[in-house]
Amino acid sequence: MENTGFLLAAFSIVWAVVFGYILLMVNRQRKLRIEIASLKATLKEKGIE
Amino acid sequence: MKYWQKIMTVTWKDTIAEMRTREIISSVLVFTLLVIVIFNFAFGTNQTTLNLVAPGILWVTFTFAGVLSLNRAFVPEKEQGCLEGLMACPVSREVIYVGKMLASLLFMLIIEAIALPIFAFLFNLPVLSLQIIVITVLTTIGFVTVGTLFSALAVNTKAREMILPILFLPVVIPIIISAVLATGTALAGGSWSELASSLQIIAVFDVIFLVVSFLVFPYVIEE
Amino acid sequence: MLRKLLVWLGVTLMVFSLFLVFVYVPTERTMGIVQKIFYLMVPMGWLAILSFLIIFVGSIFYLAKKSRRWDNLAFCGAETGLVFTTLALIIGSIWAKPIWGVWWTWEPRLTATLVLWLIYIAYFMVRSFASEEYRGATFAAVVGIVGFVDIPIIILSTTLWRGMHPGPIIFQGGLEPAMLFTLLVSLAAFTVLYVLILTQRVSLRNDQMELARLKELYH
Repeated sequence: MENTGFLLAAFSIVWAVVFGYILLMVNRQRKLRIEIASLKATLKEKGIE
Repeated sequence: MKYWQKIMTVTWKDTIAEMRTREIISSVLVFTLLVIVIFNFAFGTNQTTLNLVAPGILWVTFTFAGVLSLNRAFVPEKEQGCLEGLMACPVSREVIYVGKMLASLLFMLIIEAIALPIFAFLFNLPVLSLQIIVITVLTTIGFVTVGTLFSALAVNTKAREMILPILFLPVVIPIIISAVLATGTALAGGSWSELASSLQIIAVFDVIFLVVSFLVFPYVIEE
Repeated sequence: MLRKLLVWLGVTLMVFSLFLVFVYVPTERTMGIVQKIFYLMVPMGWLAILSFLIIFVGSIFYLAKKSRRWDNLAFCGAETGLVFTTLALIIGSIWAKPIWGVWWTWEPRLTATLVLWLIYIAYFMVRSFASEEYRGATFAAVVGIVGFVDIPIIILSTTLWRGMHPGPIIFQGGLEPAMLFTLLVSLAAFTVLYVLILTQRVSLRNDQMELARLKELYH
């Protein structure tokens, strides 16, 4: 029984999904942090916080 | 009032409301009859096929009947603003849970008590045995313990009737599996000891979810 | 600092486990090389259940303390859990095809995983259908608690349901020491990876909350 294809498929799917998920999170967080920083600056100018 | 009396008061309130409107029992009963008839068209009239699929038909019917009637357990309360009144009563939330659950159990059992003979009659199957009655009662208890909890939850969401089956069905899958297995064994003339493992799973489910739902219910209906 | 240490531990373990799976561990005789998917499937199943444990703990503390932090933990546990449960189903399917010749089989563990996946979906549905956010969190917590308690009963019933079937050989009579070692290293590697992903998700969620709070202040 030679089914190396299935084995490779399984491992590559898992790794693709895991890395995709991590990248997505890191990316979103980077954008969020920029937005938070700019919003904080604006609020400071207005003297709310 | 003692604890039990309070619970019985809630159950009695629901029973009177049901006796006046006959909203749940009559509509669910008609629905059950229709489902049984439709299944008959789906599987044909061959007796060997019917013997094979009968447990499945029975439990699909009862599961959907359960969803339908449990959906109505809190909708009238919500629509007419009775839930606030009920919560203003000097009883704990747990009492409301047990009371509502017993009322739903009563309605379900009445529906099943009428549906089972009809099922036996239309499909020519011996489903009126003590074994099947025990399976049905135990499984129905499992349905209403989780069902009452989720029904109270669903009525407070935007989708209402849509959300109950989505929550209820995956959680009760283990007892549906066990009930179908046990019914199949019982119809094939199996002994009580052959039913034991399925019945145990259903009984464990009943006890665990009675306790869990009892503990969690107060959080669901708080305003 | 701790996080950096964890990242290095995770990377080392992961590389080591890949080495073990592809080079060191002997190929199983009856099933051939496909059997190695096993070292991926078990960790996925484990993470599916571990995530639900996290939802359970987060949900209980949320109901008791009503603090957003616990709800965040439960929510993030649910999201990562959904990812790994979905992966477990996909891997199960890839395993089923060469072994049994079909993409899907109602094998007890696979069936239990599917039911678990449906409960994860219910968890997110109830949250999105709630009229207010705090209510959604409470309702989701209820689903989280009920769902977690349901897991052992689901496993019991699916096993009983398919009782007459012979289970996969690997689960009976124990594993060879080399295989067991490989499995344990894989489990450890994926658990460290999971902790990293979960903490990342929690910190992202905290940022999202912070942004929402600031926006509220702004308006």
